[in-house]
Amino acid sequence: MSNQEQHSGAGRFLGLLQPIESDLENYARRMVFDRRDFEDALQNAVLRAFRAFDRYHDDASFRAWMFKILTNEIFAINRKRGRVAQFEVAVDPEEIEEFADLEFASEALISWETLADALDEELVAALQSLSQSERAVLLMRAIGDLRYREISECLGIPLGSVMGNLSRARQKMRDAILRARKRSWL
Amino acid sequence: MKCAEVRKFVQLYLDSELGTKESFEVEQHLESCAECAGLFEAEKKFDERLGRFVRHGEMTRSLWEKIEAQIAPSGSRRIKAFWPLAVAASLVLATGIVFFTKSRNLDLANAVEECHSAYVHQITTPEFRGAVPEKIAQQFGDRLDTGAFAYRPSEPAFTSNGARLCHVEGVPVALILGHCAETPVSMIVLKKSELDHFPQTKRKLESGDPIACSRSGRFQFAARVVDDHVVCVVGDEPRAALEDLLRTVRRADG
Repeated sequence: MSNQEQHSGAGRFLGLLQPIESDLENYARRMVFDRRDFEDALQNAVLRAFRAFDRYHDDASFRAWMFKILTNEIFAINRKRGRVAQFEVAVDPEEIEEFADLEFASEALISWETLADALDEELVAALQSLSQSERAVLLMRAIGDLRYREISECLGIPLGSVMGNLSRARQKMRDAILRARKRSWL
Repeated sequence: MKCAEVRKFVQLYLDSELGTKESFEVEQHLESCAECAGLFEAEKKFDERLGRFVRHGEMTRSLWEKIEAQIAPSGSRRIKAFWPLAVAASLVLATGIVFFTKSRNLDLANAVEECHSAYVHQITTPEFRGAVPEKIAQQFGDRLDTGAFAYRPSEPAFTSNGARLCHVEGVPVALILGHCAETPVSMIVLKKSELDHFPQTKRKLESGDPIACSRSGRFQFAARVVDDHVVCVVGDEPRAALEDLLRTVRRADG
């Protein structure tokens, strides 16, 4: 690649990167098992993506592509910290029927304003208690705003597993909020 | 669809993952079933609360500058050699970035960015403090009222430096120029009836969201309806902080 081509590639890459930097950072912060790792994860992933940028096609979502590279980097770093990804727990695609049976009923009708700090504490603890796969799916959806199909491609897991992981993650976060609400009544 | 069936689709519906036919059927059911509508609303609020929680966090600017410098380390020398091309490319790129960013923002957020940016760069300054001078009130016609200038956050961190009349996309608005700690924050108030000029924001506020949030250029933007006005706050503050500030806005002369 000539200097000129490299420079124009860098400009284009940065132009695509800058609008999603904040989302990538929030995702990395909440995904790494050790907080000190998020800077390394981001730096390695972005440089890796830039080196592979000539293989990126305009018809794909740059956001999804970056989240995929960042997730791989984070999983590698987390593995070094002694934790193993848990994607071997396969979920039957039929799970779409099961996962949709949510237990929210009247319990979910929550007055959010009354929970405040207690809620954030519970949410932090609940997020940390999620399996790596549940956390990745939840954060790709909530921070990355990725479609289920994109998450499935990013993680290399079936669509049913995305739904299953997302359902379980949301249920755990919901339970955390209910616990916080009960505590706030005590 | 019956209630049990509709409730199976709650998350897919909220994530816009349902097909058109199923979405339509869910919407039809929600229009006629208050209980399911309440449950969907609760789930939507849960999603929004969760989203605010996981997205909350300051960007580490120094880290990104370091990363970006590794991607384009010696740009200045190349720009000298290819400066006409570089300038043209930059313009195209900048236009692309602005278009890309703006297309994701709410229309009202894009429209008020210039107002706030001019305030931050001290191009716009307050015209008056206290009561609206008669000669300014005469410029409103029936499209704005003096009450629009009476809104203030009860949040003690906000200090007003004064106000002025401003026009956003031809719509007259009350621009209240203030600070939160050291950060400039603009409060923009317009008549609710003027929302027709900003259909995206109107849709968002009428869809049940009490607060509409968006980026506004490099700033954050939040808006909500208070009485018969739309009150917006814009500033280089975390989105959650602006939302909290906006919730405390009351009409001071009420």
